[in-house]
Amino acid sequence: MKLFVERSAKLPVVSIALGFRSGSSQDPPGLEGLARTTARMLRRGCRGMTADEIEDTIDSLGGEFGADAMPSATTLHAEVISRKLGSYLDVVSRLLGEPTFAEDELGRLLREAKAELVDARDSDRTLASRAFRRTLFEGHPYGRRVAGSLTSLDAIKVEHVWDFYRRHYTQANAVVAVSGDITESGAHELAARLVGGLPAGEPIPQDIPDPTPAPGRRLVLVDKPERTQTEMVMGWTGTDARDDDHVAWLVGNTGFSGMFTSRLMQEVRAKRGWSYGASSRVGFDRHRDAFTMWTAPSATDAPPCLELELELLANLRESGLTPDELAFTKSYLKRSHAFEVDTPRKRVHQPFEEALFDLPEGYHARYLARVGDLTLEEVNAALAKRTPCDDLVIAVVATESETGDALRARIPNLTRATVAPFDLE
Amino acid sequence: MTDAARYQEAVIEEVNRGRSASAHFRHVGAHSLGPGMVIERYRLANGLDVLVHVDDAAPVVALQTWFRVGSRFEKPGKTGIAHLFEHLMFGETEEHPHGAFDRLLEEAGAETNAATFVDWTYYQQNLPKDALELGLKLEASRIARLVLREPQVKSEKEVVANERRQRVDDDVDGAVSEVLYREAFRSHAYGIPTIGLMADILSFTPADCVEFYRTYYAPNNATLVLVGDVALPQALGWIADSFGQLLPSEIPPEDVHPEPPQTEERRLEVAKPTLTEKIALGYKGPCLGDYDHAALTVLNEILFGGRAGRVHKRLVKTKEIASDVRGWVATFRDPGLYEMGATAREGHTAEELIAELDAELDLVLAGPVAKAELERAKSRLELGTVQSLETVGGKAETIGFYDTVLGDPGALFLKLDAYRRVTRDDVLRVARRFLISSARTLVIVRSSGELPEGEDDGEEDEAAQ
Repeated sequence: MKLFVERSAKLPVVSIALGFRSGSSQDPPGLEGLARTTARMLRRGCRGMTADEIEDTIDSLGGEFGADAMPSATTLHAEVISRKLGSYLDVVSRLLGEPTFAEDELGRLLREAKAELVDARDSDRTLASRAFRRTLFEGHPYGRRVAGSLTSLDAIKVEHVWDFYRRHYTQANAVVAVSGDITESGAHELAARLVGGLPAGEPIPQDIPDPTPAPGRRLVLVDKPERTQTEMVMGWTGTDARDDDHVAWLVGNTGFSGMFTSRLMQEVRAKRGWSYGASSRVGFDRHRDAFTMWTAPSATDAPPCLELELELLANLRESGLTPDELAFTKSYLKRSHAFEVDTPRKRVHQPFEEALFDLPEGYHARYLARVGDLTLEEVNAALAKRTPCDDLVIAVVATESETGDALRARIPNLTRATVAPFDLE
Repeated sequence: MTDAARYQEAVIEEVNRGRSASAHFRHVGAHSLGPGMVIERYRLANGLDVLVHVDDAAPVVALQTWFRVGSRFEKPGKTGIAHLFEHLMFGETEEHPHGAFDRLLEEAGAETNAATFVDWTYYQQNLPKDALELGLKLEASRIARLVLREPQVKSEKEVVANERRQRVDDDVDGAVSEVLYREAFRSHAYGIPTIGLMADILSFTPADCVEFYRTYYAPNNATLVLVGDVALPQALGWIADSFGQLLPSEIPPEDVHPEPPQTEERRLEVAKPTLTEKIALGYKGPCLGDYDHAALTVLNEILFGGRAGRVHKRLVKTKEIASDVRGWVATFRDPGLYEMGATAREGHTAEELIAELDAELDLVLAGPVAKAELERAKSRLELGTVQSLETVGGKAETIGFYDTVLGDPGALFLKLDAYRRVTRDDVLRVARRFLISSARTLVIVRSSGELPEGEDDGEEDEAAQ
């Protein structure tokens, strides 16, 4: 177990983050959603306490508890008014170390999770995101849904939850961060109690390969009735913290779209008023995730907006940032860094994240210096290499009969176009 | 005279020295923001209030400007101008061309944003502490000398129209909320959607915007909030230099139309492209300053707070007819709504949701809640209160909000004290005062048209190219 502590008595609150270095990528095929189900089952019963008693006790102590999975990690977040920390820790360490995983509670949770999947069809952004990841990461664990599917949730049994729990919820796999109104020794005592009930365990092999998406330009249109507006995302595979050009690409992307005054926001929103939001993100955790660029233009503006975005990307690959853009971006990143570390919780999150995702040691501590050292040539070389405009996935939520043809007509060299019903998943 | 008073006197003397009378500050008083935290209130001669809370935990400052104007000041045909204005305030000023506001602040490492609601509009800058002077100059410039021309107004109208499509027209919850408030408030302007109606948004002219700006964007209609690593005499001096020359305006009396008592339930249905039925309910509730607001907030926690809340237990856990339930007591200056909502699971109906929710509400009307439930609710509210103060931006927002709506920047902790004082009798009383079925509005969401059956493993179709 690794522990990180950041102390501050400014507010009478203690915040705890407990991470395990495995997540939904370890879901066995056909049991998608198992990592998330296991995390959520922790509060559904433990030795001597029913699910209702756990909920009542956490609330009565002025506590908060959340558990969820992501592709490469599982995280538990707990926060409590500091004067109640001792009693709260009794409950949290018990539900973590002595869960009961009762069959009736699992059934109830899975029915709730299935209802949430149906509700998610109301969110166009979720639909676009799922269509994008399903297509980009086809055949790779990152393409599977963290929340599972209606079919896979039906297949999850109590023994699967126990198996996942016993293998992944171990001291060897754990990282703990404590911040707030607590002493250093108190934090060590807290961490020992928190994970003391877990087996020592073995490190989980991190053998997930990098995704290798299919070449060409692929469009998936999620067909939903009555859309006056579209949700549009396009992109390709993201970065790895060990790439030589990792920081150069992050900086280049900030210059392209990470600020309100960046090129993407200016062209799409400020000049044309086409979309309320316009942003892009270079994703990574332990592995290479996705580069994504988001806009939400009206159904009428979506085709020209899509065309504009493709042009902006082609130009970015060809010409990169200007010297002024890079200087501006560096100034922004350097000076806004104060907001990355302005609370104890944010400060302790940095080493926590490094340990949880096996980022290079000192990743955050050296970040600003690495930004400062970058040359324009390095940034633009990264953008040229990492902007494969001819190999990308575009996912759009729109009404096919009204917008589909116009969208497809604006994508030169389209390799594959599919239409998916919005209730596909 | 106390040491604190002597210190404030010295601060004011230093700030005012050498400055013209119009840029003179006076120290109005101090407010407590919970144990150990103090907010000082200063006022410029032109009526601008400045609230300062010094917190040197990190080298950052939150600067927020709260205007006492929101969608409640709008009229039919001109809805959404307060919100449109929030967008326009990031535009051109007499000193700075379009885009310069964001560019100068981003180069300095700042984060900016703004928000509009029924009672207020506020602008936020989160600044590295050495960028405070720049932030203040830019803020004063846009308050006094904003340039409102056709290209900027036209472009921002398009952006806001897209925001409306995203948040209302194509969003089930957003659309239902708009219908709920429109039906519940037929006289009071709380029935006007803050984002505005689409036709109104698209019809605004630069002249409309100039009139709104000249009327409401004046120093005597605003409060500046500073929280963070602030060097006090110096920061007040910068404010005096930047804001001291702004002219106050005559703020017109609000043409408010209090909502008459509602005497019968209002019920209506809307159809949306969704697979599950939903309900949104609004009981006529208290204003934020009402003595019973705290007790009703506690009751809401008992009913809807977390997984142990009564309504969650009944509708989601036990009956398994809902996937989601929620409740919120509006924090408005005038009486608002006690909102409730629920989403049915597939195969269940809005009528089932209403029946089970009503059954649970009948229980809190019939007798006192359990002591343990009351304590649970109070603990949750205490944690939420403390969490809201984690960042300088969170503190500034709390200070600005309570000052604008209640006139007391430290009222968050008065609310916390009020929560602690709530008794089981209070909860029963407010249930009987506000959960009046003849004074509620109910919106039912049905599925529109022929929607495909919910399938899990359907196929994607190859599209014609």
